[in-house]
This record gives sequence, C-alpha cells and structure tokens, in this order.
Amino acid sequence: MSRHLKRDLVILVCVALVVAWANGDLKDLLGIPGWQSYAVRIINMCAINAVLALSLNLVNGFTGQFSLGHAGFMALGAYTTALLTMDMAAKDRVFFMTPLVEPLRNLTLPFLPALVLAGIVAGLFSLLVGVPALRLRGDYLGIATLGFAEIIRLIIQNVRKVTNGALGLKGIPPVVNLWWTLGSAFVCYLMLRNFLASSYGRAFKSIRENETAAQAMGIDLFKHKLLSFFISSFWAGVGGGLLASLLTTIDPVQFKFPLTFQVLLTVVLGGMGSLSGSIIAAGIVTYLMEFLRVVEETHYWGSITIPGIPGLRMVIFSLALVVVVVWYPKGLMGDRELTVAGIKGVLGRVRQRLRIKGGRPA
Amino acid sequence: MRKTKFVAIVLLLALFIPFLQGCGPKATGENGQGKEPEKPTEIHIGVYEPMTGASASGGQMTWEGIQLANEMHPEVLGQTVRLHLEDNKTDKTEAANAVTRLIDQKNVVAIIGSYGSSLSIAGGEVAKNKEIPVVGCSPTNPLVTQDNPYYFRVCFIDPFQGKVMAKYASENLNAKTAVIIRNVQDDYAVGLANYFKEAFIQLTGDDKCVLAELEYNTGDQDFTAQLTQTASLAPDVVFAPGNYGDSALMIRQARSLKITAPFLGGDTWEAPEFIEIGGVDVEGATLSTHYSVQATGTDASKAFVDAYKAKYNKEPNAFAALGYDAYLMILDAIKRANSAEPAAIRDALAGTKDFKGVTGTITMDENRDANKSAVILQVKDGAFQYLTTVEPF
Repeated sequence: MSRHLKRDLVILVCVALVVAWANGDLKDLLGIPGWQSYAVRIINMCAINAVLALSLNLVNGFTGQFSLGHAGFMALGAYTTALLTMDMAAKDRVFFMTPLVEPLRNLTLPFLPALVLAGIVAGLFSLLVGVPALRLRGDYLGIATLGFAEIIRLIIQNVRKVTNGALGLKGIPPVVNLWWTLGSAFVCYLMLRNFLASSYGRAFKSIRENETAAQAMGIDLFKHKLLSFFISSFWAGVGGGLLASLLTTIDPVQFKFPLTFQVLLTVVLGGMGSLSGSIIAAGIVTYLMEFLRVVEETHYWGSITIPGIPGLRMVIFSLALVVVVVWYPKGLMGDRELTVAGIKGVLGRVRQRLRIKGGRPA
Repeated sequence: MRKTKFVAIVLLLALFIPFLQGCGPKATGENGQGKEPEKPTEIHIGVYEPMTGASASGGQMTWEGIQLANEMHPEVLGQTVRLHLEDNKTDKTEAANAVTRLIDQKNVVAIIGSYGSSLSIAGGEVAKNKEIPVVGCSPTNPLVTQDNPYYFRVCFIDPFQGKVMAKYASENLNAKTAVIIRNVQDDYAVGLANYFKEAFIQLTGDDKCVLAELEYNTGDQDFTAQLTQTASLAPDVVFAPGNYGDSALMIRQARSLKITAPFLGGDTWEAPEFIEIGGVDVEGATLSTHYSVQATGTDASKAFVDAYKAKYNKEPNAFAALGYDAYLMILDAIKRANSAEPAAIRDALAGTKDFKGVTGTITMDENRDANKSAVILQVKDGAFQYLTTVEPF
C-alpha cells in the first residue's frame, strides 16, 4: 500500500511539473517558456470535455438512467459563474439595453466560490427536475430531461434582466488556466472513482443492471437516482462555468441540444460505465476535431496551391465514429477501466508473445 | 484478435501525438525571430467564417467576396498575400479555437471575420490577448468592438440600422404608429428592434407610437397569435427583424389575415430564399442593408460587380461585398503603415478615413465601427429593388 502511495505521489509530482511547464509558470523561475497557446487551449478543452463526459457517464453509464439535460445544467453553471465573477463596470457595459437586477449587479465573487456555486445551482435545479422526472424510465426520462434543458435555455433567453437575453454576456474574467481545468477534471475523476467504489456506487450499478432486483435488495431507487442526478448536474455546472471563463463570452444559443449530444457521443465512444474511457474519448474527440482542420485548410507549397474543403473534417470524423461503433459496439473501453496494473499486464503479454515469436525460429 | 485490434487502435492514436508536439515548438520558433525576417515574401491573413452549421450560407458568401478580393489584389508591399480559412461551424468554442490556430500556427498578421456577432465576440477575445487586428465583415452587434481595441468592422452597427428604418417609416411612409414583432432568440433582432423603437419614439415625439412589442422563437411556423393582435391594433407599419425564412413565412400569414401595413426589416432579409418563400406576399417588404448593385456609382464597385459575376455567375450580395471591403481595407492599412507588423496594421486601421469601398465610403470612428451610409431595398416584381441611400446622421 505504501509502495503504491509513493508511486502515485511521484506520478502526481511529475504531472504537476509538466502542467507548470505548459502553463508558463516556469518562465519567471527558470526562464523556460510555456507551451503554445493553441496547444494549451486544446488541453483546456480536453479537460473541460472530460469533466462533462465523466459527469454524464455517472447518470447514463453507471446508473443506467437516460438523461439528455446536460446542456441545460451547463448553461446554469456558465451563467452563474459569469454573473458572479464579472465586476460591476463590465456588467454595466454588457447590460446596456436592460439593466441587471440590483443584488447581482453589485455582487462579485472570487472564481473558486463562483465555480462551486455554479455547481450547486445546477445541482439544485437537477433536484427540481429530478423529483418528478426520475419516476420515469428509459426513453421517457430522456425526453423529460431534454425538455427541461430546453426550458432552461428559453428562460435564459427571456429573462433579460438577469441574463441579458439573446445578446449574451461578454467580458467574463479569463481566470481559467491549465491548473483549473485539469484540476477540476482530476478532482471530478477522483470523486467519482471513490464514490463508485462505495456502497452508493454499487447501488447505482445494481439499479443499472436491474431496477426490480435492486429494489428487492432494499435499495431506495428514488433516493439513489436523485443522488446520481445531483452529482452529475453539479459537475455539469462546473464544466459550464469553466467553459464560460475560458471563452469569456456566453450566449443561450450555445447551449442547444447538440451540445448534450456532443457530450453523449463522447461518453458512448469511451464506453458507458468507464471513467477512464470517458477521459480518453474526451481527449480523442477534442484533439481529432482540431487536428482534422488540416484537411479543410488551403495549403501553399511554393507556387502550388491545394485548396481545402470546408466541412470535410466532419465527414472524416463521422467515418471514424462508424469504424469505432462497428469494431467496438460498447465503446473503446466498454465498462472496463484503464489501470496501471492493466497496462502492465498488457505490456507483459505483448512482451511474452514477442519472446515466443522470437524464440521459435531458433 | 480483440487484443491486436486494441493495439492497432492505440498505435494509430499514438501516431497523432507527434503532430501536436511537432507543430507546437516549430511554429513558436517561426513566430518569434526564427524565419520571418529572412523570408518576407509572404503576408498571411486569416479568415474565420461559419462555413458549416446554421450560418453557413452567410459565411460562404463572405468567403467568396474575400477570395475574389485576393485574386484581384494578390500583392501588397511587393509581397504575396496568402489567405488561410478556418471554419468555425457556427460555434463559439470553435470560433475561439480557429482564431488561436490562425495566430499560433499560421502566423497571420491580421484576421477577417466573422459572420454572426456572437462568433465574432468569442474570436475577438483571443485576438485581443494576442494583439492581432481583426476586421469584421458583417457583425452588427455593438458589443463586438466594445472594449476590444483590436476589433474593427466595415459594416454599420444595429443602432444605426434601427435609426435608418425608423426614419424611413416616419418620413417616407408618414407612419405614426408601429408594431414590432421580433425573434427573442436572435441577438440581432432584439438589438435592432430596440434601436428602432428608440428612434421611432424620438422621430414621432409620441411615447406610445409603438403599439406592441411581440415576440416569437426561432423555428416557429405559426405566427397567428402575434398577427391577430397586430391586425387588431392596425398599425401604420410592422417592424419585424429576423431571419429571412421566419420573416417570409410571417409576412405570408399576415397577408392572409388581411394585414395591409408595410413590413420593414433588416439586412438579414436580403436572401433569394426570402422571395422564394414569400412569393407575391412579400412584394413591398422593405429592408435596410449595406449595399446594392443598383446603387453603386464608383469605379471600384463596378469592377467588383463585373469580376464577381464573371467568377461566380451570379449577382453579388451585401455579404460578399463586405468581405471584399474587409480584405481591401486591411491591404490599404498595410500600405499606409508600410509594414506588415500587427501593431502597425492596427494603428493604420484605426486611422482609416474615407476609404472608398464597394459598400460605401468608410471612416473608422472612435469605437472602431464604420461610419457609412445604408441602402434601403424593396421587393418589387420578385426582386430586391434599390430605393434610396441614407447617409449617416
């Protein structure tokens, strides 16, 4: 146990050093410049998408409840963070058409409490929808949560005194850096991993496998579903808050249904019921979408010009998805987890096979 | 078998990793003092537009205008200008990514874009941090250039457009009362309606001249509720800014409900689909826009129209013309600054005065917005006909 702790600590310190390097924190101390902002932005997006995918996976993958309300909870988190971190001058400039209501106008909080509050607000709203909706099962729950997300978006669009309506918000303080995004993803992962290993987590999984059997074993279905929904929405809110601060601008149109779908796609790609799968898929999807820009760009090679085809990366991306679905119907990881022991096992088996192959001719 | 597949996939993904790392440091080197001073034969200008997604048609039309401008004027200061297009998929996150990529990986000195104000705001934040000047073609929301010394635009802004239509309604149509029907989900429609109301109240001197402000949502098919109320109020004009599809549908339904008041709108109505959907019912619909082929007088605009028709075999619309102007305004700034350094281009752009563009004479005001004239068009015999030009007032 202590050996493992030591190993984990060494890994953590190494990762922290790399993050410090990438973030540009070593510049003042050692004169080493940080990474290019494009790379940093992609890593930031990977981490935010990982938080979103992990949280959706808790409800959809581990508890087996088909929820499609993620975009709505993200919107709540994003608007909460934005309104709580912007200062009064910035708010006055943005709310030039309909002034912001009074207590919110004067209120400015540091980023961390604002982010936590964003999660809590999203979580409370999830209880509001969860109490009636979680009595439904399967597709019906999906439709109810989807409807709820749309309601949230329409409310944001229409309550101009609080949200500035369709005009959206601008000038949100750009606090977020790699520490915040990767840190949130790390905390989210740790929390969900430990939670799923607890009796609650086992109860979630039993609900996924068979509700009636779980109930017969004395599990309070409603309580557990609501808890799962709350935690999921909390992290969706945090993810929305991180996104708001990264972009420094939000508007209601951003939080339409396709956003939920994008997160759901990541979850399915990674594997329903695999935390590491969600993280891996978030990284792949985010990176691939940026990497594939190459095929859309015009390339100038001396006098030769190769025109790009806008929209082609979506075609390639969909083809890649089809391949994954055909080969891995349960997603990249299924419901397995990526562990250090697992990697060692695979490497060991590969080594063994190579040795056998190398040994045969001799 | 499963395992080999897994290993194959992992290896395949591992192949991607060097690209990110390879691109990173190399491009930073070029961006610094590595290659640029040695090889000053090319100037890179970035473009980020919605080439796919909800606003794809607007982005594509703008890109056509920019490409044409680049073909007609491929050089400045003896250097070749290279265009780099990034698609922002009508998505804010993608817009910010696209601008970051243009600046970090393509080493652009200036950027053009984007159709859609919210996309421009997201991209503008990145450009501001990186201190690269951006010229917007058609984002009309005042928030775009607010607090962003690196964002300029060649179009007029919503407050002016609202004022123009209010003036037209009260002076040319002698209207005393109006009803506003707007799309609440559209920042553009909400803004325009607000400014129209302000200006109309000022012009008529009557606080109650706007009889009602009615709302609908994107994708609504049935406007009977709003239109029945409009019919009962019997206004002199109806101001209904919104997207061309929704608005055309609304006007059809209004005519079938026997509402005869003229419908007024903004530049988003200017699309062939507006007339296709609306048919005879949209005859007489009036809109303000940036530019009209029939209104052009200068040689520059004639050259543009001829070249555009030759290349694309169709009439240019306002978005293509604005894209064309944005490109040429950057070239003009580079020429005046006699330098392709972003900071110098920015300062030269800020000092743009009486730039003769296709869409009018452009002068940058202190908010980096274009001070220029608007054009009023009316649907007549199944086509947009030029009515009049309104100078800034």
